[in-house]
Amino acid sequence: MANYLIRRILKALLTIFVSATIVFFIIRLMPADPVTLLVDPKMGPEVQQAMMQQFGLDKSIGLQYVIFIQQTLSGNLGISFKTREPVTTVIMQKLPWTLLLLFIVVTLTLVIGIPIGMLAAKKRDGLFDKFINVLIVMGISIFIPFLSFAFLYFFAYYLKLLPTGGAYTPPPAKGFDYILDVARHAILPSLTLFIGNVATIILYTRNSMIDVLKEDYIRTAFSKGWNEKYVVRRHALKNALIPTITVAGIMIGSMVGGAVMTETVYGWPGVGRLIYDSVSSMDFPVLQGAFITLAVSVVVMNIIADLVVAWLDPRIKLGG
Amino acid sequence: MPMAEKILEVKGLTKYFDVQGGFLKKKGQVRAVENICFDLYNSETLGIVGESGSGKSTLGRALLKLLKSTSGEVVYKGKNILDLSDTNLSLIRRELQMVFQDPYASLNPRIKVGNTIAEPILANKMVSTSGQAREKTLKLLELVGLRPEMYERFPHEFSGGQRQRISIARALALEPKVLVCDEAVSALDVSVQAQILNLFNQLKNQLDLTYIFISHDLAVTKYISNRIMVMYLGEVMELAPTEKLFSKTFHPYTEALISAIPEPSTKGKRKRIILEGDIPSPIDPPSGCKFRTRCFKTMKKCKNVHPEMVEVESNHFVRCHLYDARKEA
Amino acid sequence: MPKLLEFRNFSMGFKDDDGTVHNLLNNVTFDIEEGRAVGIVGESGCGKSVTNLSVMRLLPRSAVIQGGKIIYRGQNLLKKTDKEMEDIRGKDVAMIFQEPMTSLNPVLNIGFQIGEVLKKHRPDMNEEQIKNAVTNQLELVGIPSPEKRLKQYPHQFSGGMRQRVMIAMATICQPDLLIADEPTTALDVTIQAQVLDIMNRLKDKGSLMLVTHNLGVVAEICNDVVVMYAGTVVEKGSMDEIFDNPCHPYTKGLMAAIPTLSSGKEELYSIPGTVPLSNKFSAGCRFADRCSQYFDLCQDKVPPTRQLSASHYVQCWLDFERRE
Repeated sequence: MANYLIRRILKALLTIFVSATIVFFIIRLMPADPVTLLVDPKMGPEVQQAMMQQFGLDKSIGLQYVIFIQQTLSGNLGISFKTREPVTTVIMQKLPWTLLLLFIVVTLTLVIGIPIGMLAAKKRDGLFDKFINVLIVMGISIFIPFLSFAFLYFFAYYLKLLPTGGAYTPPPAKGFDYILDVARHAILPSLTLFIGNVATIILYTRNSMIDVLKEDYIRTAFSKGWNEKYVVRRHALKNALIPTITVAGIMIGSMVGGAVMTETVYGWPGVGRLIYDSVSSMDFPVLQGAFITLAVSVVVMNIIADLVVAWLDPRIKLGG
Repeated sequence: MPMAEKILEVKGLTKYFDVQGGFLKKKGQVRAVENICFDLYNSETLGIVGESGSGKSTLGRALLKLLKSTSGEVVYKGKNILDLSDTNLSLIRRELQMVFQDPYASLNPRIKVGNTIAEPILANKMVSTSGQAREKTLKLLELVGLRPEMYERFPHEFSGGQRQRISIARALALEPKVLVCDEAVSALDVSVQAQILNLFNQLKNQLDLTYIFISHDLAVTKYISNRIMVMYLGEVMELAPTEKLFSKTFHPYTEALISAIPEPSTKGKRKRIILEGDIPSPIDPPSGCKFRTRCFKTMKKCKNVHPEMVEVESNHFVRCHLYDARKEA
Repeated sequence: MPKLLEFRNFSMGFKDDDGTVHNLLNNVTFDIEEGRAVGIVGESGCGKSVTNLSVMRLLPRSAVIQGGKIIYRGQNLLKKTDKEMEDIRGKDVAMIFQEPMTSLNPVLNIGFQIGEVLKKHRPDMNEEQIKNAVTNQLELVGIPSPEKRLKQYPHQFSGGMRQRVMIAMATICQPDLLIADEPTTALDVTIQAQVLDIMNRLKDKGSLMLVTHNLGVVAEICNDVVVMYAGTVVEKGSMDEIFDNPCHPYTKGLMAAIPTLSSGKEELYSIPGTVPLSNKFSAGCRFADRCSQYFDLCQDKVPPTRQLSASHYVQCWLDFERRE
């Protein structure tokens, strides 16, 4: 087990290193020069020079990369071009909002998606299953900004039930009112993310459940005299969840910073929105930091998903 | 029996498979086939029997260089085919062909069976025109008991037995001298199995073929073979002419194997030797004699000393410490 | 001898994608007497596995029952409610499947998988008693150090050991009827010998319905034999009657086609052609087009079942001598 974890963590660090490198170079391939954005033409040349030095932009790309990797390894993601705050501080301000959204969406997705997938599989080719299949196709193929605008128009503009954007109404209220206010703001972004993700979860759960129900050991369980409810719960569920959990792990990991469109449309102050803003303002350090956060969360969730799968499936030996 | 000349000599053929270790993980080794030595005589049928893990299929593939062997030689017409370059090999491989167990998997579902057979004929320039190739294919179809109109059909239109006939026709297309049949009748129903066994015998007489017939079924092997080689965990345990193997069984494993076969008859049941335990894994075979963990005649010596192959009687080879004395005497 | 299980003109088929039902089993009739071991013999596609799944009422969704009865202890199983069937499965009628590799749940330990049979049918037993019973049962089927094995998972067992686990599972409630579907087909010869040995020891505790294509296995274990071809029972009788005096051309052919350790080198008898697919059965005798003694009547009309002795029946148009 310890052996396995060490191997997994080494692998994870390698993955993160590679993604950090790719991020570094891709950002520098963008057809814009951060210097022009960073320095005000009204500044004197000495001030400009000093500023370039401060951000390390006077050095060669290679050297910049070395410095970037060194800093990243020591937990320093640099200074934001725009706010002049440390990138870690910027990300830490945004991360809780993303995690809040993520928590709501993941809970809903798993709690609603898995049972629906199971039920659809059990009643395969029935009316319910056919209906769910249509919803899955819609959920997977829907264009998120379109859905978001439709929600905004209907709930916020037309019905005036829900706020149009942000995470709370400024100035922030106190105590319970604040929580209620945030909850009202979270409804639409959660719903949007939920629709896209739940379809994937239902699809995977349904398909793996259908496969599992065809297995010989399910027939064996029936031959012992148990009813369908018991067989599904004790014999099929664990086996069917294995692929779902792997997918859920990737889904959760990529939602940290991956919900760019949703967070942007609703003005939700999370990491996704931060990525969007940093791209428009050419804020390289923040962009790098956000992408590294994304990579770390994907890798971490992957490890967690693997551990859960190993716990469910005794055939996977972690010792080896 | 073996008065005929040797067609194939196998010397110390060994094949180890590396077991994949993952990232930062140690590797293991499957000792699939170890130090196999035998001669194959012209026009004989050599049966190779063994249970799972015996390495019989690996041996079949290693013989034809379909697998890269770890060490050893396979001498055909004075040349070690395991050393030959690919260009020289193709000439020889033409004369050594293989028929596999699963006729479903070994035929391309989208190619007409006639073309499947004709393709190697053209590729190896056995004939010069496609018309001649077609003619030859039609003759082959007739030879294996299929009608000429079947040339135009696809594999899925055939039953299991017919597909195995097609596989045989394809193997025969290059006019081989030796045919290695790996579980060639195992996937077939009993009534169809008899048809294919008869076909093998009939082709052998017609075309003067030499067979290596690999099977897990001792009764089938007994029926078709002149000599039988019994394998266990990658090694030959006993090698003898068929009649002698059954009338005068030396090795305890062969004895147990013969007695384990349930006979479809009401005539008095033979006394059965039931071996205890499971077949050990070829990754971690027992020390000394590989069969000792299940042997009912095991001795002290078996644990420490690996038994050598002994010719206990003429042409009857056994790997067992019980017969060591015979060699010394 | 009282009858434990009776198949009475049982017919069933499978629905294809268009909803057309193709008949497979046609008027299957045979009995299993108390304490007897009956071998159901046939090649692939003859409907032998479907026959035993019908007893358990575990047929796949596409199966359609077209008529007849399956009577267990005087009661038609086809008329039972799902709830009643659940009480019968595992307790009165239990089953061993062909593939020990896939028939056990990979994520549950062996102790649990055997124990849950008792949990279902013996509510009077507590956890401790169940555990002891399972340990004893594992010992009975020859699994060494059973207590340690309880907590292990199927992948930690070899094929032969898994089949022993399946046997332990199927026999723990001491069923009156044990159905074994090709129980040794997936096993090596020396392991098959071990499993046959266990089955021989256990079979006296009830009746056995053994489905197999291997006539050797039948000879080893069974008292009676039912020979099936393309969904019909072509011949049935006692072991001696079928093996020493086979009458149906198919049974005769099957016997002659198998090379045995005592057979010589002469050409094997072979039945021409192959087993027909279920959508290409002929209206009359389904064996007609492969039969060596075929005549006009065979193709058009289903042959009558003729009784040759108290227990020997043949479904064929040929005339046979009646023996007593």
